[in-house]
Amino acid sequence: MKKWGMLLLAMLMLVLAACTANEEAGNESEGDSGGEKVLRMNNGTEPTSLDPSIGFDAPSWNILNNLMEGLTRLGEDHQPKEAIAESWDISEDGLTYTFHIREDANWSNGDPVTAEDFVYGWTYMLDPDTASSAAFLGYFIEGAEDFNSGSGDAESLGLNAVDEKTFEVTLNAPTGSFLNIISNPSFFPVNAKVAEENPSWFAEADSFVSNGPFMLESWKHDSELVMAKNEEYWDKDTVKLDKVHWAMVSNISTEYQMFESGDMDISEIPAESAEELIDGDNVNIDDQAGLAFYRFNVNEEPFQNQKIRKAIAMSVNQQEIVEFVTKMEEKPAYGFVAPGFEDAEGNDFRETNGDLIEYNPEEAKKLLEEGMEEEGYDELPEITLSYSNTESNRVRAESIQQMINQSLDIDIKLSSVEATVFLDEQRGLKHQFSTSSFLHDYADPINALESFTTDSTMNRTGWSNAEYDQLIAQAKEEADEKARFDLLYEAEKILMDEMPIFPLYFYNQVYLYADDVQNIVRHPVGYVELKWADKTE
Amino acid sequence: MARYIVKRFFIMIITVLVIATLTFFLMHSIPGSPFNQERGTSEAVQANLEAFYGLDEPLYVQYGMYLKSIVTFDFGPSIKNPNQTVNDLLSRGFPISFELGIITILVALISGVTLGIIAALRHNGVIDYLAMTFAVLGISVPNFVLATLVIQQFAVNWSILPAATWSSSAHMVLPTLALATGPMAIIARLTRSSMLEVLTQDYIKMARAKGLTPMKIILKHALKNAMMPVVTILGTLVAAILTGTFVIEKIFAIPGMGKYFVESINGRDYPVIMGTTVFYSSILVFMLFLVDVAYSLLDPRIKLNAKGGE
Repeated sequence: MKKWGMLLLAMLMLVLAACTANEEAGNESEGDSGGEKVLRMNNGTEPTSLDPSIGFDAPSWNILNNLMEGLTRLGEDHQPKEAIAESWDISEDGLTYTFHIREDANWSNGDPVTAEDFVYGWTYMLDPDTASSAAFLGYFIEGAEDFNSGSGDAESLGLNAVDEKTFEVTLNAPTGSFLNIISNPSFFPVNAKVAEENPSWFAEADSFVSNGPFMLESWKHDSELVMAKNEEYWDKDTVKLDKVHWAMVSNISTEYQMFESGDMDISEIPAESAEELIDGDNVNIDDQAGLAFYRFNVNEEPFQNQKIRKAIAMSVNQQEIVEFVTKMEEKPAYGFVAPGFEDAEGNDFRETNGDLIEYNPEEAKKLLEEGMEEEGYDELPEITLSYSNTESNRVRAESIQQMINQSLDIDIKLSSVEATVFLDEQRGLKHQFSTSSFLHDYADPINALESFTTDSTMNRTGWSNAEYDQLIAQAKEEADEKARFDLLYEAEKILMDEMPIFPLYFYNQVYLYADDVQNIVRHPVGYVELKWADKTE
Repeated sequence: MARYIVKRFFIMIITVLVIATLTFFLMHSIPGSPFNQERGTSEAVQANLEAFYGLDEPLYVQYGMYLKSIVTFDFGPSIKNPNQTVNDLLSRGFPISFELGIITILVALISGVTLGIIAALRHNGVIDYLAMTFAVLGISVPNFVLATLVIQQFAVNWSILPAATWSSSAHMVLPTLALATGPMAIIARLTRSSMLEVLTQDYIKMARAKGLTPMKIILKHALKNAMMPVVTILGTLVAAILTGTFVIEKIFAIPGMGKYFVESINGRDYPVIMGTTVFYSSILVFMLFLVDVAYSLLDPRIKLNAKGGE
């Protein structure tokens, strides 16, 4: 009995020791909100990495985009605006951009932001040894693709520090979306002096140097990250918040419960409560550039036939899906490019190119009959719809199964596949008909449309169309914006007419804001902007 | 005893190695790669990533590198969190899971045993039925349901405890409650049934006849023997709870190591899968060893020496 008593006592002491250690840590982060404007948000998870070249996803961008700044920054209207660069000159052939960096652009440690920092950061991103997932975004820079594929060298890159504050970039072809692409965190500068001294400067708060609206005050990995206003930021007078606390709560129900109990200023809506919460006054809905869609495999029967593909697509009622299934006020998609992109004349791309598919079960029936006749089918080959095994994918797949059954009297089978295996199989063209999703890397319609060129890793349908490939290639080299958009309009029409994919709905960003939260800008390409955010008393 | 421990130690090492090897080959036999993502990238980018993590090497070379990483206990960087090594993740997550786990086990053990004893003493009485109804509920309500329920009540409706995250002792109350209820119920039922059995034994009658107080009979004579089945399940239970629980840590946003077991497999984060497996299996075989030692302490008839008992 004595031995057990001792053991218990030892355990208790251990626990007590651990508790007190934690309490101290807790007090430190809580007692500082007196008079300061502190916004409490949730990042869902630990950012993958705060190395701008490595953190190529929303959890990293949420943080990075507010800590740092590139040559351009997306404005409140989601268009690229002067940022670290106060101006730029574009050569007549559209191939050379000369950026003039602000005299008062400084790093949080007081160092000036120089052209060399951009050369360093971009070269690092393109270096094959860095293994950046974002590197392909930079392939429009001269020499970048060769360097990243291991056949070129850093010296041949079209990057040049003309003097301390002048940075010159040479492109392979005029790229209309260039200024937009370089607002992505992968194109942020890296303080060369700091990085050479400490290659993992981005891994901890005390070594992190930022050049954006905020600086990294503390970072308790996997649990909390705190940003404070960056006094060295060139536009610091615009920044209203003193601090931003980022929690890392992955469960949306918990996030919502924390919001309800006043521990969080912003929350997503748990899917199961969508119906009761979506109409509330505190709901903010922003567009997100991307959509849910379905891929047909054109190498698998019966989807080698365009009419059969179209018949399936036209038997699905997108409006009903968003109204009764997803219930988050998404916009039904009748084209592949999301709303919110302006063409050369300032018109919305989606509105201009119009609805390229409609829900029409009558027409669908006709097309199915014609298609079956063309292929000589008496009976349609069996169709299986594969989806990655999440609850939302399952519900959507079941609804579509039912709609197709009602419209065309076809029984399609459903197959649920583990997420990683699903992507592997989809890439290997092993599915016949599958759930898909697309999110923009940068805000230009070409980013969406280039997915379906023959050699794109996003294609995953087996579909190949020479005219389409040609249009996209031309659009990438077209210097005239009007002509470029005409090529893109044409390409989208081909895609939607051939229909190797059919769109379901455009994503959106739905958040609950506490009453005093103001001016948070959520860009459709997926980063949140706190530069203008405020909390009123 | 010393010989037994040395022998057990070697068996433990071999067990861990076998588990690790099986995991390595199973892991590589499941389809999918850590770099699969919905987003498209270029072929060159994929190749750079594979080279970076040594995944372009033949499998036997990877196995060799991996055996080396077990011996040195250095599993390299995680693929999903590239700036952190597996050791970083484990050394940060384990203390937190351990802390929650120890409290949970203490709460479950003390309340479970107490409940079990009371139920056994009031066999077929009202208290017995109440205690056992409570135990059945505890076993059948999954902990994630209980977790959501307690957050809603204590944090949202009554605002007396924080809903989630992990920064003060107040934050520990709800997860402990959610996590301890199940094991407590199991322990209570086990204690009750083995207690009932022990109480009918001759040596208890003997103790009574000698005029010992009921308290002394229970604590000194009955409980020790009644604990055998509880100790048996405690080995695996402790290993499982100390290394964190995915669901509870997720719901309460506790930065423990529980999530790595599940997320590393979903994301095919090979270094993390291997690190967590080796770590968990080491703890498990060690706990099972402790259970064996505990047997001999509780019951002198069980001898640990290879020659066996008399």
